[in-house]
Amino acid sequence: MLIYDIRFLFIYMFFVGNLIFVSKNKHLLVVLLSLEFIVLSIFFFFLVLLMFIDYDMYMLMVFLVFSVCEGSLGLSILVSMIRSHGNDYFQSFSML
Amino acid sequence: MNNNSNKMFFLFILFFSTLISISSNSWFGCWIGLEINLLSFIPLISNSKNLLSVETSLKYFLTQSLASINFLFMILIKFSLLKNFNMNNIISIMMNSSLLMKMGSAPFHFWFPNIVEGLSWMNNFMLMTWQKISPMILLSYYFNKNFLIFMIIMNLIIGSLGGLNQTSLRKLLAFSSINNLGWMIFSIMISENLWLFYFLIYSMMISMMISLFFLMNMYFMNQLFINNMNFFIKLNLLINFLSLGGLPPFMGFMPKWIIINFLLINKFYFLIFIFMMTSLIIIYYYIRIIYSSFMFNYFKMKWVNLLMKNNMSLINLSSFISISSMILSTFIFM
Repeated sequence: MLIYDIRFLFIYMFFVGNLIFVSKNKHLLVVLLSLEFIVLSIFFFFLVLLMFIDYDMYMLMVFLVFSVCEGSLGLSILVSMIRSHGNDYFQSFSML
Repeated sequence: MNNNSNKMFFLFILFFSTLISISSNSWFGCWIGLEINLLSFIPLISNSKNLLSVETSLKYFLTQSLASINFLFMILIKFSLLKNFNMNNIISIMMNSSLLMKMGSAPFHFWFPNIVEGLSWMNNFMLMTWQKISPMILLSYYFNKNFLIFMIIMNLIIGSLGGLNQTSLRKLLAFSSINNLGWMIFSIMISENLWLFYFLIYSMMISMMISLFFLMNMYFMNQLFINNMNFFIKLNLLINFLSLGGLPPFMGFMPKWIIINFLLINKFYFLIFIFMMTSLIIIYYYIRIIYSSFMFNYFKMKWVNLLMKNNMSLINLSSFISISSMILSTFIFM
């Protein structure tokens, strides 16, 4: 794939991550993994953007902390779901 | 496992997160506030002993995390393309879309009635009022006027037509909340002061209704006419529902009146038509509920008494405020 500009890579990664997020999967874990993939693409994008501000990477670290918190929250909800339903299949959503 | 000190801790962080989000100097601070909002709201609603609440917290987490991560990506694209001043472009559409998804507004509203169905009344109150503050204010910082007017029309129509076939009181209030979101998004496009006024009155009305339903432990419409309710509770319900729908002598008419005034002065005739007609549909289904509650002959059961958990004085005070506040507010300027 021809990349004229590095921004196309980030947009491509972002769209692929969103596409997997909204697709019909069997497991919940795939959805959480796609969320982490989007976070990875934003991490890369942030890194390239902040390189133009003389290597001041502090904002990137704050972003990383918050994304990790969000990922761990998703995993804890996954654990809670497995404890109550027994698996993480999407077909076991029947109540709502 | 959920004791009050947990809830107080997370509530405090929830309040703080909204303040972080609306008072930040950069878009990144706004994103941080939204993330902390998500992080602190999920423990408030998840209760691992219950299948329903696990599913609810899962759906809430998935939609909100997707919206906030998309929001951050659009912030970075805006930063890299240096689009800071012209607000009517595609980047503002994407940013507004992610904020509308966080609020539960119309094209992205499908999670909202489902989640409201799975939460208790107090959590619903938090979700319907406080969680809307920070996406609304962030929306006012960089909005696309044409896109938002289209979204307002969709909100109004979906909020009014979606509530017609509901029997659950929570879903009814959810669709009513979506309709009121349409009014609130328009008011924030006018001025933030007007939005604050609308939002305060709306949250006061919703709090009166939700506290009434919470005290009587009511979740479905058939509980309104099967039980042996006191006449004054039914009257209070009538007043609150009509006030929420925006009928004139009650308090809920005042913010809608100011918005209609603005619409008329600036000649938004088509939009006025949609606002009025959808309000009509909403008042129709409110009156349908109250009608059934007043007119049906209820079962006078000997072994079930509907006990009021607290005394009635607060409820009577709220009815008095709903009826008289619009007239009393004109006395302020004397």
